[in-house]
Amino acid sequence: MAMPMDFKTYVDQACKAAEEFVNIYYETMDKRRRVLTRLYLDKATLIWNGNVVTGLEALANFFDTLPSSEFQVNMLDCQPVHEQATQAQTTVLVVTSGTVKFDGNRQRYFNQSFLLTAQSTPNNTVWKIASDCFRFQDWASS
Amino acid sequence: MQENTQDGTPGSWFRVTITSRIKYDRIWLINSIQRHCSVPFTPVDFHFMHDGAQFFVQEASTASALMEVSNKICDEESRKVCIPVFVSPSAAPYSVRDKLKPEEMELLKLTLSKRFDVSQQALDLRRLCDDPDLLGHDIDIILNRRNCMAATLQIIKKNFPELLSLNLSSNKLYQLDGLSDILQVAPTVKILNLSKNKLTSVWELSKMQGLKLEELWLQGNPLCGTFPDQSTYVRAIRDRFPKLLRLDGQELPSPVTVDVDTPCVLKPCKGSYFGSDELKSLVLQFLQQFYLIHDYGDRRCLVAFYHEEACFSLTIPFHPEDPAPSSLCEYFKDNRNMKKLTDPHLRVQLLKHTNRVIVHTLCVLPKTQHDLSSFVVDTWFQTETMLCFSVSGVFKEVEGSSQGCVRAFTRTFIANPASYSRAHFSFNLCIMNDELFVRDASPSETQSVFSIPVPTPTSSSMHTLSQEQQDIMQASSTRPEVNL
Repeated sequence: MAMPMDFKTYVDQACKAAEEFVNIYYETMDKRRRVLTRLYLDKATLIWNGNVVTGLEALANFFDTLPSSEFQVNMLDCQPVHEQATQAQTTVLVVTSGTVKFDGNRQRYFNQSFLLTAQSTPNNTVWKIASDCFRFQDWASS
Repeated sequence: MQENTQDGTPGSWFRVTITSRIKYDRIWLINSIQRHCSVPFTPVDFHFMHDGAQFFVQEASTASALMEVSNKICDEESRKVCIPVFVSPSAAPYSVRDKLKPEEMELLKLTLSKRFDVSQQALDLRRLCDDPDLLGHDIDIILNRRNCMAATLQIIKKNFPELLSLNLSSNKLYQLDGLSDILQVAPTVKILNLSKNKLTSVWELSKMQGLKLEELWLQGNPLCGTFPDQSTYVRAIRDRFPKLLRLDGQELPSPVTVDVDTPCVLKPCKGSYFGSDELKSLVLQFLQQFYLIHDYGDRRCLVAFYHEEACFSLTIPFHPEDPAPSSLCEYFKDNRNMKKLTDPHLRVQLLKHTNRVIVHTLCVLPKTQHDLSSFVVDTWFQTETMLCFSVSGVFKEVEGSSQGCVRAFTRTFIANPASYSRAHFSFNLCIMNDELFVRDASPSETQSVFSIPVPTPTSSSMHTLSQEQQDIMQASSTRPEVNL
């Protein structure tokens, strides 16, 4: 049975998860794109500038066709998600913003949100992306 | 020891030596050094040696900047082999020391002009050393000598900068260090004739790498005899000039290249994503209700929208170069951008917890007018108990020191799609998490805001709101019962 945690502990846990995760995510996206899907749940969904990508296979194809990237994050925030919404599945909302330069394209500002959910294995607990929402700030102009 | 610089003023010269057993691409090497060097430099008389490369620079400041570069450059492939760079004072390089006199330069220019075919952009320098014009004036233009080659290239740079074809046949050339400067001077050259010279190794051609040659003549050089067969010879040359079409007058079979087709095209961007019409009307209705009260009503009424244990936080961007952009000063106090805020205690404090604390924070933030027509919504996660959506758009500040400022925002809501009602009005979404990111609007965002005119209800003109709108305001001002 899980020990009841106080709010402060939830927040600390969320902050730790968010910081570690964001570093790994963008580093993987930039430098090890092939293994990026390992950070996602099997049934995870990505909404990328209004385009829906569902499931690991579709995600793998999508990231494969996405040009190589250089991300720079200048905003990070996170919140623990209330268990009433998550049905006791430990979840963290992570929100980021910054710039990205895709190969062959100009640098653009982006906003991104993630839902991270804790997946327990016998040895440890890992955070995985349940859902991901990405949008350029100037999505309407190309 | 001082030598005069090219314009006659005194200056010191320094020799820069890069020792390495591995032969490097001149352009790569110079670029790598320049990347680590704080001072821009121009290498003079660059040449390869059997165990490295050498060039000259002027000015002590350049020399010391280059000394700092030693062992900072690593081998392209292994990243473990660091290349030492030695800098030492020296006499002026040959091309400078034995610089041609102005009258010699003038004569050389005339001679070259006679040998230039402007329609083909071709310069025929065959047997230049035996040119009657030059011999008659007792000038020795031996292209093997650095000063002569440098002078020739200088004239090419000034007079034939779009050079396409260069014929250097029969000039007794045994090395191409001097000629490799042509990469800087006339990189347009596509046809090069080096036949009947004294080039002994294909390595000399490596010094010319970077020229996008389509036609090359090498026959009559000792290096041609160093290959066991024709195909090995062709392959070695093609290695250095992948776009080569003709070698020694023979058409080459078109090359089969391995093209790693790296994608550069992004998927087209689309507008709002809702997942279903039902969700669309649910979310849009929520946003309308929320911002109606937020902008035109008493924000305290918003307490009904939030769960008792809801969380809210606000962020603004963090630019290390400009850590405190004053235009967003109203938002500094509550800014929870973790890229800037590292204190764990503050991180907890600035996460507003419970609906009452949240609404108290919202009441203190600047008064706004959101442009709902600018909203783009992504509904990105849904379960029975949870709905996540992000809204981006613009708003105007209508009061205070930043009145008239247009801001852009992205707000992420996590809501429980519980329906609960008060009187005849029902709420469909109970906010559990609310994250608001505010930034300055871009010029195009600022221009397009409120392109559709919106009437501005003021707090004293509540009677102008429709009956339904008044009902919403009234219903939200008291705590609802939640039905799951």
